[in-house]
Amino acid sequence: MPSHVPNSSGLQRLIAQLAPLLIVCAVVFALPVLLNNDFLLNKVARYLVLGILTVSLGLSWGFGGILNLGQAMSFGLGSYAMAMALKLKTVPVHTGASGLPDFMVWNNVQHLPWFWEPFRSLTFAIAAGLIVPALVAAALGWFMFRGRVTGVYVSIITLATMVVINLVIIDQQSYTGGFNGITDLAQLEIFGVAFDAYGRATYYLVASCVLLSLLVAFAFTRTKAGLIVQAIRDHESRVRYFGYDVALYQIFVFALSAAIAGLAGMLYTVVMEFASPTFLGVQLSLSVVVWCAVGGRQSLVGAFLGAVLVAGMQGALSESAAFLETWTLVMGALFVLVVLFLPKGLAGLAQVVLRWIALRRHAAAGGVAQGVGQTEGST
Amino acid sequence: MSISRRTLLRNTAALGAFAGAGLPHIWIKNADLAFAAGGEIKVGVLFSLTGTTAIIEESLNKATLLAIEEINAAGGIKGSKIVPIVEDPASDPATFSEKARKLVVGDKCVSVFGSYTSASRKAVLPVFERQNNLYWYPTLYEGRECSKNVIYTGAVPNQQQDEFVPWLVKKFGKKFYLIGSNYIYPKEENNYCKKLLEKLGGEVVAEEYVPLGHSEFSSVINKIRSTQPNVIFSTVVGDSVVALHRQYKAAGLDPEKMPMASLTTSENEVAAMGGEAAAGHFTSAPYFMVHKSPENEKFVEAYKKRWGADKVTHFVSEACYFQTYLFKQAVEKLATSDLTPPNIRDAVKGQEVIAPQGKVRIEPENLHTWLWPKIAQAKSNGQFEILVEAKEWLKPVPYAAYPGQSCTEKGLVEKS
Repeated sequence: MPSHVPNSSGLQRLIAQLAPLLIVCAVVFALPVLLNNDFLLNKVARYLVLGILTVSLGLSWGFGGILNLGQAMSFGLGSYAMAMALKLKTVPVHTGASGLPDFMVWNNVQHLPWFWEPFRSLTFAIAAGLIVPALVAAALGWFMFRGRVTGVYVSIITLATMVVINLVIIDQQSYTGGFNGITDLAQLEIFGVAFDAYGRATYYLVASCVLLSLLVAFAFTRTKAGLIVQAIRDHESRVRYFGYDVALYQIFVFALSAAIAGLAGMLYTVVMEFASPTFLGVQLSLSVVVWCAVGGRQSLVGAFLGAVLVAGMQGALSESAAFLETWTLVMGALFVLVVLFLPKGLAGLAQVVLRWIALRRHAAAGGVAQGVGQTEGST
Repeated sequence: MSISRRTLLRNTAALGAFAGAGLPHIWIKNADLAFAAGGEIKVGVLFSLTGTTAIIEESLNKATLLAIEEINAAGGIKGSKIVPIVEDPASDPATFSEKARKLVVGDKCVSVFGSYTSASRKAVLPVFERQNNLYWYPTLYEGRECSKNVIYTGAVPNQQQDEFVPWLVKKFGKKFYLIGSNYIYPKEENNYCKKLLEKLGGEVVAEEYVPLGHSEFSSVINKIRSTQPNVIFSTVVGDSVVALHRQYKAAGLDPEKMPMASLTTSENEVAAMGGEAAAGHFTSAPYFMVHKSPENEKFVEAYKKRWGADKVTHFVSEACYFQTYLFKQAVEKLATSDLTPPNIRDAVKGQEVIAPQGKVRIEPENLHTWLWPKIAQAKSNGQFEILVEAKEWLKPVPYAAYPGQSCTEKGLVEKS
């Protein structure tokens, strides 16, 4: 407990815990210097966004013990919020003077629906991209956690809710673009800075959000509320007997995680230049769980790197001629191996390896001293 | 003290290990390659080899590669070989977008052949429009698109329906039951169908949309029984086609009296459902495998020889095949130093090639293709019998249902 140790030591410990996070972010920020290629930057930016999404799941799953199989729902809601705002900013070349988004004209919609109106304001859209996922999660959490739903049922409910929202979006194509999603978007512009998907501005925007979301998530895990959430994960009824309102803490971490996922969703629209119902699809949602497990769900930085590493590897494997036919198989085998042999993911493996190195060094230092002693003795 | 320093050290090294392992996919490529360097012309081939639409898209990948291999075997294009770069977008729009970026920006492909679904085309469109590259799209689709960066070689609604709907009305009657999958393509086809029916004095007894991948049609079949239409006009896609046909047959309905008229059922779908379930129903398309022409015999024979005797060709794979030849002709017109996507687009305008279906031509106005509509009936052996062949090729009108709009070289124009 930080409060029990002297201040200076507590600070050092904090720095030690923050170090991986800060170094990862430093690497992320330094990358454009090494990579003088817009296309690769855009690609890395995409992986970073998926990393943020995975951090959000790490927060609720690794720290809150809530396995949300519908994490992509919040991601998708954020993505659509941004897409709606950017869609309204496009010059409607395909639809003529009426100025309605093209897919609405295709579906014979006469007037902009009321819930699209506020998205003319980018500020509103950005706020909505954070708040709507958080509110939806809070409402869902209220029903689940107040009703003391736990474990696998939480996973089923979150997955089912996501599928329902996904189906509604596909079905209501006059208002959502349906199966095709929302395409042909304007560029995001904030304070006169245009965020071109291939530009450095966008990369740095994403990198800043990586730093921000990692810091927010890290800070939360260090607060009292964060500690209680972890205690609930480990022993829910004991925390309840202490008099804490367990559901309230669970709802909070669930909503915070959704807001971070919403942020990632908004960035994804900027980087990909469209929004699609597959952004809140089962496939992506389950991939996030896998990334999180591979990286190590109880480490925020681990979860982040898990996503970047696996998504990057997936991209590289499927692009190499040798694995074009078999890349899904290779990925599948890797996941099985990680789950079987590395229950704490790569973060856990890294810890074990480092401990082992430290021990060896310790032993070697002792051994050398001994050896020297022996040599001296023999001469 | 020493513990915290070790923690710091350990964590830092963990990070290094991660970063080292995490970045092998990042490499720096020579970004300044010209579009035709070292006697090679790089093109992208972007059809899903895994995922939900893999079965149909694999046949498109194969038809495209066949054409490229044939062109290269015959000496390439003015001595340059076409080098196909095959990517697997895994039936996922986001992956389509990622791979399109890789092909266009990373590999500097001069054109990309790809996409089956409209959703995937819409997902890659921003990449091609922003990079001013060229996408060759082989699938029939709903029209209403007017991009300068896409060459559309599949049929648009007027090319599948202008002949088909009057023929159905004359042969079977005026009562139509419209059934489609719930997305933009069936809705647009039905919009156009309703316009045609209005002119012919036809009647729509029901218009219904089922979710994509829907496979339970008993309620639809009950409604068909109660409304007794003359024609079931079907634009369901994918697995739903198979389910609808099988359940229609299981319900004991008779194609002689109440046939299904489809815009989406090709040899590929018939192979999936079995010829018995398809027999007696009608499809309108520019190409069928049984079409008799020297070019088609050559295409079918080469396709089977290259990919297996049990494989079928169909109206989308045929378009993949001939659009690659159109690409070749366009590139032939250009000097090597002029080889850029916009120049290829200009060169392909008005290009003609004798495709398996007949002579086709790229319309300079809208970059869609003049095609030969045909009406055919499915047989129990899994093939079609062509009943009606257009006497003339038909101009593509992507905005046929919207007389106020037309696609021109300058983009979409509103007529007042």
